[in-house]
Amino acid sequence: MAKSSSSVPESRVYRWLDERLGLTEIIALAGKKRVPEHKHSFWYYWGGITLFFFVVMCITGVLLLVYYRPGESAYESVRLITYDIKFGWLVRSIHSWSANLMVAAAFVHMFSTFFMKAYRRPREVLWITGIGLLSMAMVFGFSGYLLPMDELAFFATKVGLAIPATLPVVGPWLSDLVRGGPEVSAYTVSRFFALHVVILPALFVPLLGIHLALVQKYGMSLPESEEAKPESERKTIPFFPNFAMKDLAVWLIALNVLGFLAAVYPWQLGPAADPLMPAPKDIHPEWYFMSSFQILKIFGNWFPGALGEFLGIAVFSVGVLLWAIVPFFDPEKRSGLWARRVTWFGFFVVFVLLLTTIWGYAVLPAGK
Amino acid sequence: MNYPVWDVPVIGSGWTIGIIAIIHILISHFAVGGGIFLPMAEAKALREGRRDWFPALEKFSKFFLILTGVFGAVTGVGIWFSIGLANPEGTSALIHNFVFGWAIEWVFFLVELTLAAAYYYTWGKISDRDHMRLGWAYGIASIGTLVIITGILTFKLTPGGWLASAGTGNEPLHFFEAFFNAGYLPSVALRILVCVSLAGIWALVYFGGMDGETEGPTKEKLVRWAAKWILPAYALMPVFALWYYTTIPADHRELFQLGVSTIGQGAFTHVTRMALMAVLSSATIAVVIFLFAWLFPRELTRGQGVAILFLALLATASGESVREFLRKPFVVNGYLYSNGVRVLNIERTNREGYLARSPWADPVVDTTLPSPEIGQRMFQGQCMACHTTDGYRSMKRLLGDRDGKAIGSVLKILHDHKPESPYYKYMPPLVGNAAEIESLRQYLDIMANGKLTSGVVDTRPKPAKAASDTLARADTAKVVPAADSLKTSLDTLKPVAKDSIKASVAKPIVDSAKAAR
Repeated sequence: MAKSSSSVPESRVYRWLDERLGLTEIIALAGKKRVPEHKHSFWYYWGGITLFFFVVMCITGVLLLVYYRPGESAYESVRLITYDIKFGWLVRSIHSWSANLMVAAAFVHMFSTFFMKAYRRPREVLWITGIGLLSMAMVFGFSGYLLPMDELAFFATKVGLAIPATLPVVGPWLSDLVRGGPEVSAYTVSRFFALHVVILPALFVPLLGIHLALVQKYGMSLPESEEAKPESERKTIPFFPNFAMKDLAVWLIALNVLGFLAAVYPWQLGPAADPLMPAPKDIHPEWYFMSSFQILKIFGNWFPGALGEFLGIAVFSVGVLLWAIVPFFDPEKRSGLWARRVTWFGFFVVFVLLLTTIWGYAVLPAGK
Repeated sequence: MNYPVWDVPVIGSGWTIGIIAIIHILISHFAVGGGIFLPMAEAKALREGRRDWFPALEKFSKFFLILTGVFGAVTGVGIWFSIGLANPEGTSALIHNFVFGWAIEWVFFLVELTLAAAYYYTWGKISDRDHMRLGWAYGIASIGTLVIITGILTFKLTPGGWLASAGTGNEPLHFFEAFFNAGYLPSVALRILVCVSLAGIWALVYFGGMDGETEGPTKEKLVRWAAKWILPAYALMPVFALWYYTTIPADHRELFQLGVSTIGQGAFTHVTRMALMAVLSSATIAVVIFLFAWLFPRELTRGQGVAILFLALLATASGESVREFLRKPFVVNGYLYSNGVRVLNIERTNREGYLARSPWADPVVDTTLPSPEIGQRMFQGQCMACHTTDGYRSMKRLLGDRDGKAIGSVLKILHDHKPESPYYKYMPPLVGNAAEIESLRQYLDIMANGKLTSGVVDTRPKPAKAASDTLARADTAKVVPAADSLKTSLDTLKPVAKDSIKASVAKPIVDSAKAAR
């Protein structure tokens, strides 16, 4: 066992733990790890912010599980949590806001990774696991959206599940499987609940583990502007304690943003879903699905009927696939023309996402 | 409704003032705290022979001059502009009382601006002693502005004995009674602590931009010294906050206590939630400064400084929000409600009508005949200071699924304004004669439901009765089928507005009422 450094406390508790866990070695290893420090370092914190919101979501999710009841009682249990259980409104608000902030932070993390070309060799798998995690986070959001079973959740899910139903051959079967029948019902809530709290976490956590392990293995990627500098001119700071303490500070700031949103805009619960009522005029998915929703609507207008929806799904799927395999088009610094094309592809994707999201909200009919 | 209406869609006029005011507070409090920080930093550098601090302090004083002299001044004018439009009655009341107070504040402000410029431009051009004197003179002038404006701000919640003179025409004679009100001293103390903290935080923003390698030792000393400037606030703020709390009138403290007692259920808790947010963000500032600045002063970046400033913004916004909400439902406690209605005028307005004395509505209009157009003017005059149609405090969302009759019941509660009403502590009374309130009911019914969902109440034959009596009999009054009554009222009335009142939000609603014909 390595001798502890002078900065490490030498208490009996520490020695006891050190003998069993090898703390000194871990601290020495963390101290050796260096993090690049440059004008783009800001973007390094976004992965940590995403992880922070995920941790908050897990904790508040467990607290919500204590009172939430899927199936027929779903709405009543959420009503109880929101209005009767002490601080239930706060836990639910923090859970919902952290879910949204996690997806937002993941998008920022993904695009910063993309434009810093951090997907290049040997980080291809890191990139693909990241895309997988973001996709799963969005499915987390979709499945969680229905769980309160209020009016908006019911109709938004109904619309959302009608989209894959237009796929040829497997579409209707797939939709029925997810819905648990021909209509969104208490069975759908039970299935979404199982998906939300068992299946997705079981897939998400191991993938997250691989993602974090690869981050540790390869370290932070340098942007091209830094790579162009001679090694002697590049600045680095120790991962521990310097970067870790700053990461902690950023997490605290993220906590404040979360607290502010939960305090000022507590998550609302709409009226209970009534399948016999007409859908509200302003029915819409969560913001991170608005772009795909709008693209499907555009294709639906261009090609009326199932063909439009099928083409919309196809175009969107091809776009996501291309995005996921970007590292194979631009594998290294010497990619030249392809590197520039990939960068322009990134700008194009950001532009389309922003445009269609804003467009989607702009054409929403006014609701109550 | 003695002034034109200012319609700010989505965020409402309240948030417009709020956004400008929060930016202004961040800068103006820095202008005061910086007046202490800069001469003290200079004195420390001279005393300890740290002349290597001077170039950084000189640049910092330039940044200080531009930020406070340009953005501080512009946002200050912005506050005047926005409060004058959003709540002209309140602004008018304050100006009439404190015109000399404000005049003195502006003198201090002009002196402050001049000295800030002189302080920056004389670095290295006059003796150290004279330069220090300029710095301290600036500090005194900047504290002067704070000392004056705080009296006017705290007056709004604790006007105290001044209220006895309200409405007599002799209000300005009670200037000192109004100015040195109960909340004044603790507020001055609290604000000075905030100023000192903000000076340290802004200094971290600025010194974060120094190069940690070429200017390492100087940066380390300056950053750690600036970080210490938040300490007085953490040591003393709880004491002064408690002192301030004891000066809050009991019925307003109840609002806070109601929030505390119902925080578990989340009802009536806006003030409490914002107070907790202020505590959370203030506590976070200390930890984040420790992690970013104290532990690794040479690695502090401007971005990290801005992140700390962002937390200060959250703390300021939350704290100021608490201060504003505690005053509800008044602009000037006990004198002027947030909807611009004076306490002394309620009875007369209910008797004669709200729009009858409005120079911005047609004076020949017969407000005894209800109509959505009159309702629209009522909404603009009495609701829009706090509510929007679709955005912040959305009226549509608040009305929810209520039909016309339920809306009428809510309006009756607001009009009666009885102490046992659930809205009493934070909503001003709804004033106006029976026809005006019925008009507002129609307008809100159409806003919520797209059409009139219940028969309209004929209020014509009751000219001598008070509005509350009329409303109390609303259930038994002659109820006219919605479409017929509406046709009559819309055909009979001339256009209400003679001004350029912006009706873009309300127009579709009135249109739909016409379509109902």
